[in-house]
Amino acid sequence: MALRSRLASVNPERTILIRGALRPGILVEEAEAPASQVPPDVFVLRWLGLGSDSGLASTLVAQECEILYQTCGTQCFGGLDRGRALTAMDAELMAMLEPCSTPKTNCASQPPATMLTQVFWNEPALAPVVTQRDRVGRSARVTIYSYLEQGE
Amino acid sequence: MAQNWFSAPAPIARRARAYFAPVNRVTRMPVVFDASLQGAFDLDSPPASWIDLGPIQGLTRTAGSKSISIMAGVPAAVLEQARETLDAQVRFEFLSWTKLTMALATGSQHMNLLAPAAGAIPACDGVQAAPAVAVQAGSTANILQLAAADVTRFTVGSMVAVDADYTGQTGFVGSPVSGAYLRQPLSDVDYIRRITFNVALVSQVAGSALTLAQPLPAGVPAPGYKLQALTGFVDREGGAFYHEWSALFVITGTQGERIFFHYPRLQSIAGAEEAAQPVGGKQGGGLAQSLLRGRFLALPVIDPLDGERVLCYRSFLPAPRALI
Repeated sequence: MALRSRLASVNPERTILIRGALRPGILVEEAEAPASQVPPDVFVLRWLGLGSDSGLASTLVAQECEILYQTCGTQCFGGLDRGRALTAMDAELMAMLEPCSTPKTNCASQPPATMLTQVFWNEPALAPVVTQRDRVGRSARVTIYSYLEQGE
Repeated sequence: MAQNWFSAPAPIARRARAYFAPVNRVTRMPVVFDASLQGAFDLDSPPASWIDLGPIQGLTRTAGSKSISIMAGVPAAVLEQARETLDAQVRFEFLSWTKLTMALATGSQHMNLLAPAAGAIPACDGVQAAPAVAVQAGSTANILQLAAADVTRFTVGSMVAVDADYTGQTGFVGSPVSGAYLRQPLSDVDYIRRITFNVALVSQVAGSALTLAQPLPAGVPAPGYKLQALTGFVDREGGAFYHEWSALFVITGTQGERIFFHYPRLQSIAGAEEAAQPVGGKQGGGLAQSLLRGRFLALPVIDPLDGERVLCYRSFLPAPRALI
């Protein structure tokens, strides 16, 4: 949710139409219908490994997050600007990830409730560019940390 | 009732940030930092007098104070402890080269390389400088008004030093930062502008005014101040002068907690040193960043609270809602 708000601020024009609703162009893969391919020009979050350290005053949970994004460039340039479009997405991703913390939110409740601690993450590790036909894309990995609070 | 507190583990943080403020060498007054009053300050906009030096790396504090045991009895056993010496050092690496970081990271005098006069004879640090021009009335810390004939000597990108002519004074020289200590008078009229910290980059030239990219550290130029272009900075290994600063290091944890290390009086104890840090790890291809390395000795102040002599204050502002 925090990244969604930040993307809306960084680039309000990066949006996606899902189930009739226009939203900032970032989505969590597991929360959407399965798709064979990552949609272009949006950021897709995929949760990977999970770890925890219970030897602390509060249990620290670490979860690896992969952020995938691809683009074909724009039609008006015939896709020849796909490199620039990917660079723009790189910059948007870096801007979204700063500052590297946000209040922890319980989205299971309605409305979502702000919790006591902060979720925080390390610097992203960006993978090399991958080319698939007319698409160029990249993935970035970030480890997200949070402390377990009462009731979790 | 839902629990409205949590147990906070040890702070997790990225880099510490450093802030320095000049000690008034004449009155021996350091700059005070009060974590209870000022602890929530915006890290990009520190309290008055403090200059933001940005992130630093490798902050290492070493307490070298020694205690002795007072023994009594047969066989002798420790009766009490007494503090024998006070000693604390701090070291770190700056992540940028600026006038101030370079000056802080040397244990000696730091000077401006004034732009040379036409036909000047080469000198290591005191070349005859191009003549200074007078700063006109109406100038501010950000905008310098000059005579129309003088403004043509400066362009966007010029670096300038703004200060008074040297008129033979001795003792600590320079304000608000004492940049040198003179035992005997000199004949160099530009000497104060050589050692002044009142420098800035010109970002715009319009009419007869120079707009500065950053405000002058000393604020609005005083009457009689003059302006000279500079080309860079120089320090030297040797000499008898030590800079003295108040220092504040801030570590901000991921949960919003803050740790402050406040050294009211800090002097550099190392000569100019650099550390080579490879760029991009092993993929750097031989590229290395040259970092300024600073090593400092803390000097004591008298704590007005109880008259004790102290070297450093460590303050901690816990995370909101964290158990204390």
